[in-house]
Order: sequence, then C-alpha cells, then structure tokens
Amino acid sequence: MDDNTGPSRRPTLGDRRKERIDALATAGTVVDEPGKSLLRSAWERLRRDPVFLVGAAITLVFVVLAIISPWIAPWDVTANPLIDKVRPQSNPVPGPEPGHLLGADDRGRDLFSRLLVGSRQTLVVGVFATLLGLLGGITLGALAGAIGGFVDTVVMRIVDVMLSFPALLLAFTIASLAREPSQWTLIIAIATTQVPIFARLLRGSMLAQRSSDHVLAARSLGVRPRAIVFRHMLPNAMGPVIVQATLSLATAIIEAAALSFLGLGNPDQRQPEWGQMLGLAQRYISEAPHLAFYPAGCIIVVALGFTLMGESLREALDPKSRR
Amino acid sequence: MTQTSDAPDVLVEVTDLEVYFPIKSGIIFDRTVGHVRAVDGVDLSIRRGETYGLVGESGCGKSTLGKAILNLEPPTAGSVVFDGTDIASLKGEDLRHARKRFQMVFQDPMSSLDPRQTVESLLLEGLRAHGLDTDTDATRARLRELMSDVGLPVAALSKYPHEFSGGQRQRIGIARALSVGPDLIVADEPVSALDVSIQAQVINLLQDLQDKLGLTYLVVAHDLAVVRHISDRIGVMYLGALVEESGGAELYDVPLHPYTRALMSAVPVPDPQVEDTREQILLTGDLPSPANPPSGCRFHTRCPWKQETLCDTERPQLRVVEVSGASDSHRVACHFAEKIASGEIQRHEVEATITTPGFGGPDAGPTAPPEAYIGV
Amino acid sequence: MTQATQHSSRPGAGSSEPLLSVRDLRVTFQRQGEEEFHAVDGVSFDVRPGQTVGLVGESGCGKSVTSLAIMGLLPGRGNRVSGSAIFDGEDLLTLSPSAMRDRRGSEIAMIFQDPLSSLNPVISIGRQVTEVMERHQGLSRKQATPKAADLLERVGIPDPKARLLNYPHQLSGGMRQRALIAMALACNPRLLIADEPTTALDVTIQAQILALLKELVVDTGTALVMITHDLGVVAGLCDEVNVLYGGKVVERGGRHGLFRDPRHPYTVGLLNSIPRLDAARGDKLSPVPGSVADNLPWTAACAFAPRCSNAIDPCTAETPQWEGDQVVGFRCFNPMGGTR
Repeated sequence: MDDNTGPSRRPTLGDRRKERIDALATAGTVVDEPGKSLLRSAWERLRRDPVFLVGAAITLVFVVLAIISPWIAPWDVTANPLIDKVRPQSNPVPGPEPGHLLGADDRGRDLFSRLLVGSRQTLVVGVFATLLGLLGGITLGALAGAIGGFVDTVVMRIVDVMLSFPALLLAFTIASLAREPSQWTLIIAIATTQVPIFARLLRGSMLAQRSSDHVLAARSLGVRPRAIVFRHMLPNAMGPVIVQATLSLATAIIEAAALSFLGLGNPDQRQPEWGQMLGLAQRYISEAPHLAFYPAGCIIVVALGFTLMGESLREALDPKSRR
Repeated sequence: MTQTSDAPDVLVEVTDLEVYFPIKSGIIFDRTVGHVRAVDGVDLSIRRGETYGLVGESGCGKSTLGKAILNLEPPTAGSVVFDGTDIASLKGEDLRHARKRFQMVFQDPMSSLDPRQTVESLLLEGLRAHGLDTDTDATRARLRELMSDVGLPVAALSKYPHEFSGGQRQRIGIARALSVGPDLIVADEPVSALDVSIQAQVINLLQDLQDKLGLTYLVVAHDLAVVRHISDRIGVMYLGALVEESGGAELYDVPLHPYTRALMSAVPVPDPQVEDTREQILLTGDLPSPANPPSGCRFHTRCPWKQETLCDTERPQLRVVEVSGASDSHRVACHFAEKIASGEIQRHEVEATITTPGFGGPDAGPTAPPEAYIGV
Repeated sequence: MTQATQHSSRPGAGSSEPLLSVRDLRVTFQRQGEEEFHAVDGVSFDVRPGQTVGLVGESGCGKSVTSLAIMGLLPGRGNRVSGSAIFDGEDLLTLSPSAMRDRRGSEIAMIFQDPLSSLNPVISIGRQVTEVMERHQGLSRKQATPKAADLLERVGIPDPKARLLNYPHQLSGGMRQRALIAMALACNPRLLIADEPTTALDVTIQAQILALLKELVVDTGTALVMITHDLGVVAGLCDEVNVLYGGKVVERGGRHGLFRDPRHPYTVGLLNSIPRLDAARGDKLSPVPGSVADNLPWTAACAFAPRCSNAIDPCTAETPQWEGDQVVGFRCFNPMGGTR
C-alpha cells in the first residue's frame, strides 16, 4: 500500500468564511411562512385543473338538481296529465307539446319531471352504497393491513371469494334474496360488491405503509402500536381509497340503474328512477327511442362527472407529481 | 468470546447475533426452503461515548445488524446487552419504553418522515410516547432547543417535510432521534442520500452533537472514507460477519484482512497524484449469495491471498494477531493474517466466477426469489 | 456501416481536432403554470478522441441534462434546447430524430446509472447485445452472436457464452453494468457518454468498472464523457474536468491542475467537503453552507454567491464571465489565490 502520500495542500477558504457561515445558518434558508400540507397543495393543483372543474361542475349541477327537484319539477311525477293522449295502438308514447318539454311516458306521466326527480333515487343509492361499501372495505382492509398474519389471510381469502363473482351477479343475488325489493336492498347489494375492492386496496396500501421507513421510524421512536396504525399508516394509506371511492360512485350509479332495470329496485313503480325508466322504455325502443335515450344520457353524464373528478383527484394525490 | 460485559465503559455488548430471513416457496402452503443469513454470528462491543463505524458493501448485512441491535429486526439468535439489559429479549411495552434510550437515524430523510405531519408534530410524537410532554412551556422550549441543536430556524416547526431540502430533512430526522434524549444513536447510511457538500454539513453536525450531548454512535455506511472520518473504531463486514475490527487510524495504516485491503484500495481519493501512484487490489467476481455462503472463510472465493489449506474448510474467528503496528484491540478473521502482513504469502490472480448459485446460470437449482438478494 | 472506425488519432493525442464540440448549450424546462427553469445555462466544452472529459457537480447542476440533450434523449415536450453540439462536423442538436437514432448506439453510445432499469427485463442479455449489431451493422443474428460473446468476455464477464442466455435479473449489479458497457461498445462507438456509471455499485465493483473504462479508452481511442458527482472518480479517470454549478461550467482544468490549484470557491468547497481516507480523524470538514435552494439566478448575479465564502460586491450584481479558454478557466469575480 503506497497510497500513503497524505493529502496534498489545498488553499483554505478566506478569512470571511467563519462569519459568513454564521450569518447564513448552515442549513440554508427556510422561508418564514406557515407550511403547506400535502392536502392543501393537492387542492391548489385541483383548483386549476380543467378536468376536475368540468367533473365537479357536472356533479354539482346533478346534486343541486336532485335536491331541489321536487320543487322545480313542473308536474307531479305520479300524476298522469297526458293519459288522454295515450293510444296503445297508434300513439303509445305522447310526444313533446307545450308544458311538456319532453312529452310523456306510456302512462301519460310528464317525462321531464320524472327525469328530474329520478336523479334523487339514483344519487341516494349511489352515495349510500359507496359509503356503506367504503365503511365495510375500510374496516376489513384496515384489520388485515394492521394486524396481518392469520387475520390478514382469513380476511383476504373472504375478499378473494367475493371478488371472484361478477359484481352485477353478486348484487343480483343479494337483491333477490331480500323478501321484498326496496331501495335499501339495492344499496346493500351494491355496497357488498364494493367492499372487496376497497378492502383489497386499503390492505395493499397499508402493507406498503407498514414496511415504509417512516413507520419504522415511529416504531424505533417507541410510539404506541395503536398510534402508529391510526396516525401514520391509515391516513397515508387512504389516498388511493378516496380516489377509488369517487370512481366507485360512478359504477354504483350504473349498477343501481342496471338492477332497477332488471326490476330489483324500488317496488313502487310510480316513483321514478333512471334505470327503471330505462327498463320501461325498452318496450317502445323502436317507436320512441327518446324514452330510453334521456335516462341513459343522464346516467352517462353523471357517471362521467364522477369519473373525471376521480381521475383528477388521483393525479393530484399522486406522490410522483408532488414537487 | 469472553469479553467482560460488565466493564464500566461498554454501553452495548453484542454476542453471537444472528438474523436469518426465511426463503419461502410453495404455491398453497409456504415452505421454508432455506435462509438468507443476513447476520451470521457477530460479536462486538460499543463503548460509551465512542463512534463505532460499521462498513461493508451492499448485501453484507450491516444495515440488518444495525436494526437488529435496536430490535427493529428481531434477531434469530444471540443477545444485545444495552447497559445491563438484553434488548434482544425485550417485547411489547418493555421494549417500547426502552426505546427512549436508543434511537435511529435513517438513510432516506424523505421516506423516513411522515409526509402528513408538520415538523412540530413529528418531534412531539416521541415526547408524547414516553410521557415527556407534561408541561406545555417546557415542551415548547424543548422543541426550540432541538431546532437550534440541529441548526434549523424555529420557523421550520410549522412546515411539512416536503418543503425542505435533503440536508434539512436529515436534520429533522436527527432532531427526532434526539427528542427523547437517547444515549445511543444508530445511524444507517446517514449521509449517503445527500450531495457531497451537504454530506459534510451533516457529518459535522453529528460530531458537534456527540461532543455536546455525549452521545454514542453506531454509524453504518458503505463509504469507507465517511466511516473513517467519524469513527473511533471500525468494524468491516463481509457476508454477514465481521472480518476485521480496529481503531480507525490503525485500520487504515495496518489493514490485516485481505478484504479490508481490497476495500481500502478501491475507494477513490480526490487527488490525482494519489490515484496515479497507488496500488489497486481489484477483486474479481461478485459477492456470493448470503443464502448459500461459501464454506470456510466466506471471502475465499474472491481472496487474492487464498491458500490451498484451511481457507475453504475452516471458518476463521476474530482474533488478535502479533503484527508490528497492530495493537491488542485489533482483531481480524483470517487464518494467514500474519503471513500476509509479513509478505510471506504473496498475492495471486483469482479466476472470476459467477458466485451466485441458485441465482446464476440456467443450469442452477431452485431459483431463490430476487427479493432475497435485494436490500439484505 | 461504420464498423471500421477510422480513429484518426492515437489515444491521448490531446491536441487533435475535437470530436465533440459543445457550444453554449442551453436547456430550458417549461412546465405549465410554472416559471421557466434553466437546467443547462450555456455549457461549452470539447472532447477529443482518446480523451476522458469529466462533468462533475451535485444534483441539479445540469450534468445529466447536458448529456441527454447531446444524445437527443430529452422528452419531446416541455423543454427548449439551443446552442450546438458539433460531432464530426454535424450539429447533433439539429439532426432529424431518425438520423440521430442512426448515430446513437453506433457512433455515440451511452451508459446509464441504473443498469437494471436500462436493460429490458424480458429479453436475454445476448439478444440485447446482438440487437444493437443487427440494427447498426446489418449483421444477421448468427453472425452477431459470437461477436456478442467476445464483447462480454472483453468487458470481463466470466463464461460469456452461458451468460448470453441469461436475463438481466440473473446477473449481479456489477455484471449488469458490464453487460450494458458491452452493448454500448457493440458498434465501436467513437464517443461514449457515461452518466454516473458506478453510482449504484459498491466500491470494489466500482473499481472494477472504472478500470475497465480506463482500459477501453486507452485501447480503442474512444472519447469518454464521464458524468459523476464523485471527485474521487474524476481524479482517477478524467484528463479534463468541468465543474458544473447551477447549469453553468464554473471551472475547468486539467486533472492535475484543477486538484492542485482549484480557483473557483465552489470547487474548493467541494474538495474540502469530502472526507478522505488518508486524512486523520478529527479533522473537521469545511462544508459549503446552505443548499442549491439558496441559488441566485445567473442573469444578474453569480448563482453560487449566497453560499460562497469569497463573495464580494459584484457577485450579487453581475453575471461573472468566463475567464480562460477551452482548456482551463473559471467563472468567478474573486477566485481563490487572487485574480492574477
């Protein structure tokens, strides 16, 4: 080893060095203003994202209309003012006329009013089904992800079994098990199909958190296990679940419509619902396609609104796009 | 080893520590088909107030050893006696309370800080966990003190980790470790994720804190120059075991193990004159798989001083050797250390082989999962 | 087919015509709703055949972007490149994408930091090496295979014939980097750009790879641009060193000159920041204070001024100009050792 030449002489920095370093706290500058959390910076990004704005606008219009629909609907949805014009042979579905913007259905009920009020049931089913699914999914996923081991294996096998059924078939089975169909059987059926998705997602991201450095750091600090789960793992694992929930609202609405279409929705046929309207429309699909077109269009636009919101939310919360 | 664990200046006494990771295989039922021997029988002692540097290449088990000493990675066997208590056998609340006295500083300052918490709540967490936040005023004063200790302005308390530069984040990580007032800090590659100029700032900070607070450090790093700069004593690891241990200066002046010599000669020195004149010992081949370590001396497959006898049959133990310049605290695990030092045994060529059975050629046996080799 | 590379000069002939001549290279990133960011801000340097030129600096200094811009590998959108990079009489920056593709891999090759992500995980090593030769030299796979085995042997991969059948994940990090170098060498490039080729590797493996690169430059007369953050690597390998800071070259010099007599305070600061194996314990390091977040814009100041211990009044008022030529020089109002 003859690399023992020793360091060659190098000029040392000037005399001013010491004072300059003292003046400039060695760590560099820290801007003196309150910190900005990740959520806040994500929100600031979202506010400028046109995709999010379009999605949010659609959703907002839909929600507001659903809430105020009973008051702004020009006709009572159960009344049949145009029943006189219905001719089962020649004119089963009366067309538009003054006072009836979109005409009426085969029972002479004002189509526009039914479309407006129909949004309520769709929204209620979609939101409650997703919330319920979220609750179940978070419980199962958090249990599996936080405890691990045997609990994880059992929970995940159950979830796998649930996932192996096609969602609609599962919902169909559950809805038909109920003694009599109602709005709530619909909600529970759809929620059940959402549970495994949320559970899997949360469990996966909890596991990722569990092996992350900051959780190890909390462990090494001596933080209580409960606090580690609730303060560190769960909040950091929720991002993808929230995004999925937004996207799930769209599928829940579509599934709700599909189940109603199949006659598993609210048994009270007088109360409008988009899927149910779509189901009634199929008899007249050749003579009066508009009867199917309007509820279908509503379902698509609303689902699109939620999807756009979910996608832009995903982007905003993506750690890779953080600066 | 008959090291006296009750010697007054020893803070940590590690005896026969082993950490094995099972390699699982199977479709329905996981079968353990082997073990990755990340740490395979390590004895070392850290004295109060000193800096012990653990150096080695990736896969040598140094990080696992660091975590196992803190019982963040449960040891498979062996004991870690910290100031009279065996940490390795502690569990649950006892372990959690004991953690107050030994802390860790992580390699990646970004991923080791919870992105959702302000610096203040990060620092409060440790205080709360150990019931040290009883008095609001005292807590505030403590936070200010921590900030000034690590050279950050008090304004930083209300900010989030992503709003800092890499060096500043590492300072926050250090402040968190200090918050509970530990005696021992295990720093796992504390500067390797940082830029050169920032590295030096953090190294100086660690040294200043040691002087001020009387801390004991175990610094785990792959960079021999960094380790040499901050350590009083250095242990060199190869494939899960210590191959040499001595005082920093002595290790540099009188390296006894062939691996230490190769490692030392491979470190680039920012001085062209040194670079042009020095002798390089280039090792051939790769690190063997820790799942299937070579028989005898683990280094014999790559050793330029390998002998026909002993090396591939008998595993050498750490021992003190009689070589001029080597003190009696200088231990080396090599059968022929004296003869290599005296020049009686000369270097020879080593044929390079792919030394990762089970992971190498197409004709190899059961393939171990790649994870087994990553980050061990 | 440019296989028969006519290296006009012998290795080490430093006075010959530059093979690559980069002038006033600027790369500006523009992201929607954000301020422009000058990643590379007027970089000029020459590379001669058989010469190793180092671009050294810390993260964010623009060294990697420089190499990507020369190779035409920057993403198509969101950036603006200006200046010139004359390679063998042609400006690489104005070449069409297809013409650039022909140069890449045959006349100019690049080695990246992370060998695992630079190799295709589902194609065997042999196939990846022969592909380059098929693409640029018009060889058939049969003709290329023995050559690929020769290449692997040349870069020090034991049992090369068997390794041709391996997939990247079956090789260790060092072996992968060797395979990547073999791919880069497949068509005898005249210019090799290595972007932190050893950063992901262990020191003993790094030493092997650096020795290999050194040998290649001497044997083939290939010009090498070495991009690294490690001044130690530079000291052992590079003939000429360019120190980058904030997108500009702040100092340039020959290997010995620069390390013996650094002029720019940043270079000095870097050298003083590095713990040295041959220095005694207890010597305090003297780091550069602050971080790159403290930089000033080059437009009306020296970017380094806020962190500089030698800063004087003009440093925060004017842009320092280049003092020197294409061989040695610095960009500083108040260099170490006075202005002379």
